[in-house]
Amino acid sequence: MISISHVSKQYKGAPRAALEEISLEIDKGEFVFLVGASGSGKSSLMRMILREDIPTSGSIHVLGENLIGIPNRRVPHFRRKLGVVFQDFRLLPNKTAAQNVAFSLEVIGKSKGFIAEAVPDVLRLVGLEDKANSLPSELSGGEQQRIALARAIVNKPAILLADEPTGNLDPATSMDIMALLDRINLSGTTIVMATHDRGIVDRGQKRVIELSQGKIIRDARGASYGESG
Amino acid sequence: MRFSFVFSEMGVAIKRNLSMVISVILVTFISLTFVGTAGLLQQQIGSMKTYWYDKAQVAIYLCTKTSPAEVCPQGEASKDIQDTVTQRLESATLVPYIDKYYFENHKQAYKTFQQEFKDNSVAKYVTPEQLNETFWVNLKDPNQAPVIIESFNGLSGVEEVKDQRTYLDQIFSILNIASLAALSIAALMLFSAVLLISTTIRLSAVMRRREIGIMRLVGASNFYIQLPFILEGVVAGVIGSLLAGGAILGIVQVFVQGFLAKQLPFTSFVGIPDALALLPLLVLAGGGLAAIAAAAAIRRYLRV
Repeated sequence: MISISHVSKQYKGAPRAALEEISLEIDKGEFVFLVGASGSGKSSLMRMILREDIPTSGSIHVLGENLIGIPNRRVPHFRRKLGVVFQDFRLLPNKTAAQNVAFSLEVIGKSKGFIAEAVPDVLRLVGLEDKANSLPSELSGGEQQRIALARAIVNKPAILLADEPTGNLDPATSMDIMALLDRINLSGTTIVMATHDRGIVDRGQKRVIELSQGKIIRDARGASYGESG
Repeated sequence: MRFSFVFSEMGVAIKRNLSMVISVILVTFISLTFVGTAGLLQQQIGSMKTYWYDKAQVAIYLCTKTSPAEVCPQGEASKDIQDTVTQRLESATLVPYIDKYYFENHKQAYKTFQQEFKDNSVAKYVTPEQLNETFWVNLKDPNQAPVIIESFNGLSGVEEVKDQRTYLDQIFSILNIASLAALSIAALMLFSAVLLISTTIRLSAVMRRREIGIMRLVGASNFYIQLPFILEGVVAGVIGSLLAGGAILGIVQVFVQGFLAKQLPFTSFVGIPDALALLPLLVLAGGGLAAIAAAAAIRRYLRV
């Protein structure tokens, strides 16, 4: 599903490599926590998987695509098979919840009929069918992140990347989001989630990959956050 | 591909960026008006050239009593000289070039002069003797004038051999310079239009960077992301060129047909059909230029 081999990334002018000799395999249906301090390379690694950046050396295969050799014009089609959510939700402030979800389908050319069916379905899945016509400013942080999740999964991606999805939320709301992510994972979607939240990782008891200074220092299944975090 | 969506995105972009879009429209409008005017001026020169060049003759002016002594030391040209010129014009070497010729004596020259300058005070002072007796030669091919000029230049009793086209060429070169000036202004304005379009599109892209970021994340194709911006530029360019087309139609109708054509009734001027023929070219130029400028700007801004 995701296969990363000897990946290094050196940004120009940076004193040390952002990623150094990273190798890992993530299988279909896995739920992986990516942990580590700020600047440990979590975000760089996420960017590589999304093909927003290309490593200086090494190889990355995601969903059967070789991300080093993939031509630029194929990148958009590759990204349609992935869903992404961020700490800051990234919703369009002038569109309602339903329109935000519909927008991501419109821009990849889905038909009106498809959108009219898929959007209410996915809003029901995240438990916000009654907030379909609210603007993001009228929603709580947790609700906004649910909309962002709805947008990420509406196209039924095989992989969901979540970059600190609970970073801006209080613990109770974070639990709700984690419960939702678990449900998405149970339906077969592979999830890679970068996080700082020790409590969430410890409760999850899932595979934990810990990065420090651009290197993998731990890769354990059914693990806790660990001491070095 | 859903065009209704692309067009509504373009509408939003134009609304947010209205003042810049209006400035693009105006600059395109002015520059293409200059382009169109230069084009019509060139057509005008072309039609005047074919009209007047056909009528242009080579004049062989014979000496008069008042001619300057350096060229006409013997004074008034004698009947012998008239015969010599006639013989040469009829000779086997020159006949193939000549369509027809006729001789104009002092009296006839005076009559023509009085007609042409009837409102001018100079007509009162001129006497028939002062006006040259002239052989007017129509050539089969007006470009062969140098053959006639060489044959008669320096012949004693001939004051001057003149190709009338040299007078026309002066007028045409002035008109040519005018149309070149219009074209260089147009080029300058078009250059600023291109810069303005790329700035506008980039500004538009910055204002919509959230949308663009999300579009890229969910895998919208580059074409789909770029199309609304390119269309925004094209719409502005096409509106500008339509305005320019309207201005040119107005100039032709009011100034050329309404004023010039009445002042100079025997000259054929460019008309509405010529201006209409120019219109699609202007729209093509305006739209095409805007599309290229917008596409170049947005491609540089939006790399994958």
